[in-house]
Amino acid sequence: MPTITVDGRQVRVEEGRTILQALDDAGLLMDGVDVPHYCWHPGLAVDGSCRLCQVEVEGLGGLQIACNTPVADGMVVHTTSDRVRDARAGVMELLLVNHPLDCPICDQAGECKLQDYAFEYGAAGARTREPRRALQKRVPLGPTIVLDQERCILCRRCVRFCREVTGTGELGIANRGDRSVIETFPGVELDNPYSMNVADICPVGALTTRDFRFKVRVWFLEERPGICTGCARGCNVWLGVAHGEVQRYTARRNDRVNGSWICDAGRLSYREIAAPDRLRTPLVRGEDGVLRSAELDVALDAATRRLRELIDAKGPGMLAALASAHLTNEDLAALRRLLDRLGVDAAGLTLVMGEGDDLLVHPEKGANAAGARAAGFGDPAPILERLRGGGLEGLIVLGHDLLHPTLLGSPDALDDLATLIVLDTHRSELERVADVVIPGRHLAEKGGTLVNAEGVVQEVAAAVEPPFPATAQAEVLDRLAEALAPRLAQAGGDG
Amino acid sequence: MYPRLPHVTGYLTEHVAEDDFVTLEGYRARGGWLAAERALREMSPEDVVDQVTASGLQGRGGAGFPTGQKWSFMPSDPDGPSYLVCNADESEPGSFKDRLLLERAPHKVLEGILIGAFATRAEKTFVYVRGEYSRAADVFESAVEECRTAGILGRNALGSGFGHDVVVTRGAGAYICGEETGLLESLEGRKGMPRKKPPYPAQVGAFGRPTTVNNVETLAHVPHIVANGPEWFRGLGTEESPGTTLFGVSGHVSRPGLYELPLGTRLDEIVFEHAGGVPGGRKVKAVIPGGLSMPALPAGQLDVPMANESLRERGTFLGTGGIIVMDDTTCMVRVACVTTWFFRDESCGQCTQCREGTGWLHKLCERIERGAGEDADLDVLRDVSASMEGQTICAFADAAAWPVQGFLRHFREDFEAHVRLAKCPFPASFEL
Ligand SMILES: Cc1cc2nc3c(=O)[nH]c(=O)nc-3n(C[C@H](O)[C@H](O)[C@H](O)COP(=O)(O)O)c2cc1C
Ligand code: SF4
Ligand code: SF4
Ligand code: SF4
Ligand code: FES
Repeated sequence: MPTITVDGRQVRVEEGRTILQALDDAGLLMDGVDVPHYCWHPGLAVDGSCRLCQVEVEGLGGLQIACNTPVADGMVVHTTSDRVRDARAGVMELLLVNHPLDCPICDQAGECKLQDYAFEYGAAGARTREPRRALQKRVPLGPTIVLDQERCILCRRCVRFCREVTGTGELGIANRGDRSVIETFPGVELDNPYSMNVADICPVGALTTRDFRFKVRVWFLEERPGICTGCARGCNVWLGVAHGEVQRYTARRNDRVNGSWICDAGRLSYREIAAPDRLRTPLVRGEDGVLRSAELDVALDAATRRLRELIDAKGPGMLAALASAHLTNEDLAALRRLLDRLGVDAAGLTLVMGEGDDLLVHPEKGANAAGARAAGFGDPAPILERLRGGGLEGLIVLGHDLLHPTLLGSPDALDDLATLIVLDTHRSELERVADVVIPGRHLAEKGGTLVNAEGVVQEVAAAVEPPFPATAQAEVLDRLAEALAPRLAQAGGDG
Repeated sequence: MYPRLPHVTGYLTEHVAEDDFVTLEGYRARGGWLAAERALREMSPEDVVDQVTASGLQGRGGAGFPTGQKWSFMPSDPDGPSYLVCNADESEPGSFKDRLLLERAPHKVLEGILIGAFATRAEKTFVYVRGEYSRAADVFESAVEECRTAGILGRNALGSGFGHDVVVTRGAGAYICGEETGLLESLEGRKGMPRKKPPYPAQVGAFGRPTTVNNVETLAHVPHIVANGPEWFRGLGTEESPGTTLFGVSGHVSRPGLYELPLGTRLDEIVFEHAGGVPGGRKVKAVIPGGLSMPALPAGQLDVPMANESLRERGTFLGTGGIIVMDDTTCMVRVACVTTWFFRDESCGQCTQCREGTGWLHKLCERIERGAGEDADLDVLRDVSASMEGQTICAFADAAAWPVQGFLRHFREDFEAHVRLAKCPFPASFEL
C-alpha cells in the first residue's frame, strides 16, 4: 500500500485512488484535512470541473486538483500553502460573481456549501459591480424537485447522478459558458424513483424537494442518525428533527449499505412517524363487543387474562404469533421470550413482498426481515393455513402486514379467534376483530438493532419521543411475559 | 484562380496554385505519395517516430508540442484499435492556414496522415473539419475517396500490408471543439466539453482507445521529413524550432494573407516587408503574433524572431502563427472587448474560473470602454485573469486570460485614459 504525506501527516492509501478519494477512504476529508470541493462526490465519477479542490503536490509544477490526481507512493501534498489558499479564494470569488444574494430567503441557508466555503475560504468583500445573471427562479423539474437556476453553481452533480446512478439522464446543461443552465431535456421530466437525491447532493439551494421546501429553516433542525424502515436494504438516513417531530429524511452515507443514496419512497416514509393514522392509545374490547380506548395497564391486564384463559383451556398449541419485519432485534427477542414462556411453538413472519430494483430498493418490505428470520420467525404459511381453516384459537400479531393481499388479505378469517392481541404502530382493519390493541413505537422513537438483506447489522438510537404515550414493543412484550409468568411457572412452564 | 493563395510559398505550399494538385494524379505527378510508400514499405513505425523526433518537428496546432515525442506515447502493442485524429477545426481568430492545406493540398495532408497513422499503429484516422469549412471537407472527402479507389487507403494501404482508413467528420461551430479532448467528445457525438486529464488521449482517446491528435499543418510537414530526412528539416528555421510554417497575416496591413516562411523569421520582417506594413501612412500600434489567444506585442517589440523560444522571452507565444496587426487608430480597450467577448461566448463553461472569469473580464472591459470604469477595475482585470491561468481542465482559460494580461502589460495607458476621461479616447477606432 502506497503512503502519501498530506500536510505532514502520513496517509496509507490504496493504489489507483486519487488524492481526494484517498483522503476520503482514510476518513480524513474535511475531518482532519480540509480540501473543499464541489463537483467531487463519493458516489459519482470524478468530474474535475469546479477546480476548488486544488492542492500543491511536490514535484508537479503548478496546482493540481486533488479529485483527479492519482496517488503515488511517497507523494507529498500541501493543502494549506499560500498558493492553495489564493487559488481557493480565487475560485470562491468567481463562484460568487453571478450568485444571487438570496441567503435570507434560500432554503439551503445554514447547510449551504457555498455559504460555508465562502466564509471559510473566501475573501471578505465582493469586488464585482457587474450585473448578475438573471435566470428562472422556480423551475419545476418534475413531481419532486424545483430548480432555482440563479443559485446553481454548475457542479453537474445532479446531471451526473441521473446519468451514472439512475441511468435516466433527464438532466443536462443547456447553452455554454456563463449562459449555462441546468435543464431537463425537452419533453422530459425529472421523474425517477431516486430523483430527490439530487437535492441532497446539490451543494447549494438550487435544487429543493417540493416536500421540504420552505418547511423549516434548517438551523432549527437537529440531524439524528436513523434507518429507513421501507425495505430490507435498511438505508441509512438522517432524521431532521424540529419541534419534536421528524421533518425530513435525507440520505446518510454508508458505503456498505446504501452508498450516498436513498429511494424517494423511503425518503418520504418519515411521514409515517407522525401520520394521522398512528395508533395513539391502547384499545380493549368490552363485554359489549365495542373497542374502547384504555390505559396501557388495563390493556395489558386484558391481554394477560385472555392469554391465560386460552392456554388454561386449550393449551399453548392453539395459540400462534406473527412477527413483523419492522420489529427490531430487541423486539423480536422479547417476543421470543414471551412465546417460550407461554410454550407457544407456532410463530411466523408476515413480510410483504413488492417491487425491487438493482440499485437499492429490496423486494422485502421491512427493514429487519433478515433479523426476524434469524430469530426463528419464518414462513407464515402454516399459521395462515390454520387461521383460514379455523385451526387456531388465539393469535398475537405484530404490525398489520398480515392484511396485505398476498398474505391474509382481509381480517375476516380472524373473526372466529377467541383471542386476538395486536401490537402495532398504525391503525388498521385488525381493529375490527382484535380484542386488545396496544400501540408500539416507530423505529425512530425507540432505536434498536436491525439486520439488512446483506446481513449487515445496524444499530440506531431513538431520535424522537412519540407525541402520545406509546411503549416500545419489546417492553410491552416483556411486561406481558412477566404478568403471565407466575401462573405459568405454577402450571409447570419454564418460569 | 483560387482567391487565397499564399504570397510566399515553401515546400508545404509550392504547388497549391496548380489546380490539379488536389487530384491524386496531379499530386503523384509532383512526387506525391512516395514518402508514404517508403515509410510503409521500408521503415518500421519506430523508424518513422525516430525520424520525426530527430527532425524536431513541433506541433502547429498552437501548443508546439514535439510531434515525435507525442507519437512515442502511443502503445506499441495495443490490445485493440488505436486512432489518429487530424485536427482540422481551425477556429482560432487570426488563423486560416489549415484551410488552405485542406482545400489545395489534400493529398499532402492525407500522406502525412497515413505516415502518422503507420507510426502510431492507428487503424483509422478521423479528420475533424471545422463546420464552416464545408468546401474544405468536400475537397478532402474526394481525395479520401480517390485514395480508397487507388488502394492507398484500405486493408492493404499502398500494398504494404498496413490497413488504414480515413473518416471525415464535420464540426458544428464551436471553438472549443478544436481543443483535442473537446474534439474527441464532439467526435463521439456529445457536447464539446474538454476532458479532464489524466487520462491523456494516448491512453484513453477517441471511443476509449489510444489516440493521437495532430494538427493539419503538423501532418503536412511529415511527408517532407520522411522524404528529405531530419537533417534537411533542421536546416530550416531555428535550432529549437525547425522547419517552415504558414503565417497568416491579417488586420491593418497592405497584403493580408498567408506566408510560408521559416520559423524564426522576424515579426517586423513579416509585417513590414512581406505584408507591406500598415496602409494609409499610419503606424503599427500592436501585433498579436499567434492568434487571438496570444498576448499582443507593442510596436516597439516587433524585432522578435517568430519562434517559441524567442517569443517566450517577450511574454507571448507562436500559437498558430496567426498574426493580427493593429494600427494607431485602434482602441486597445475595444480590442479587449471583442477578445473577451469571443472567449466569453466560446467557453464551454465547465470550469468555474473559465465560465465566470470570461464573463467577468468581458463585463469589466465593456464598462471601462463605456467610460464607467475605475482605477481599481484594472487591478480586478489583472487578478481575475491571474485566477484563470493554469488552473482549468483545458488551456482555453489561459487563452482567454493571456491576451487581457498582454493588453494590460503593454497598453495600460489606453485603459487608464478611458477611466480618466470617462469615455473612449479613440473615436476613429473600429466600431464595436
Ligand atoms: C481552446 C483551444 C482551441 C484549440 N483549437 C485548435 C484548432 O482549432 N486546431 C488545432 O489543430 N489545434 C487546436 N488546439 C490545440 C489542440 O488541443 C492540440 O494541442 C493540437 O491539435 C495538437 O496538434 P499538434 O500537436 O499537431 O499541434 C486548441 C487548443 C485549445 C486549448
Ligand atoms: S443544480 Fe445543484 S447539483 Fe445541479 S449543477 Fe447546479 S449546483 Fe450542482
Ligand atoms: S431502498 Fe429501502 S431502505 Fe432504502 S430508502 Fe428506499 S425503502 Fe428505504
Ligand atoms: S478551461 Fe474553459 S473551455 Fe476549457 S474545459 Fe474549462 S470551461 Fe471549458
Ligand atoms: S472537486 Fe476537484 S475539481 Fe471539483
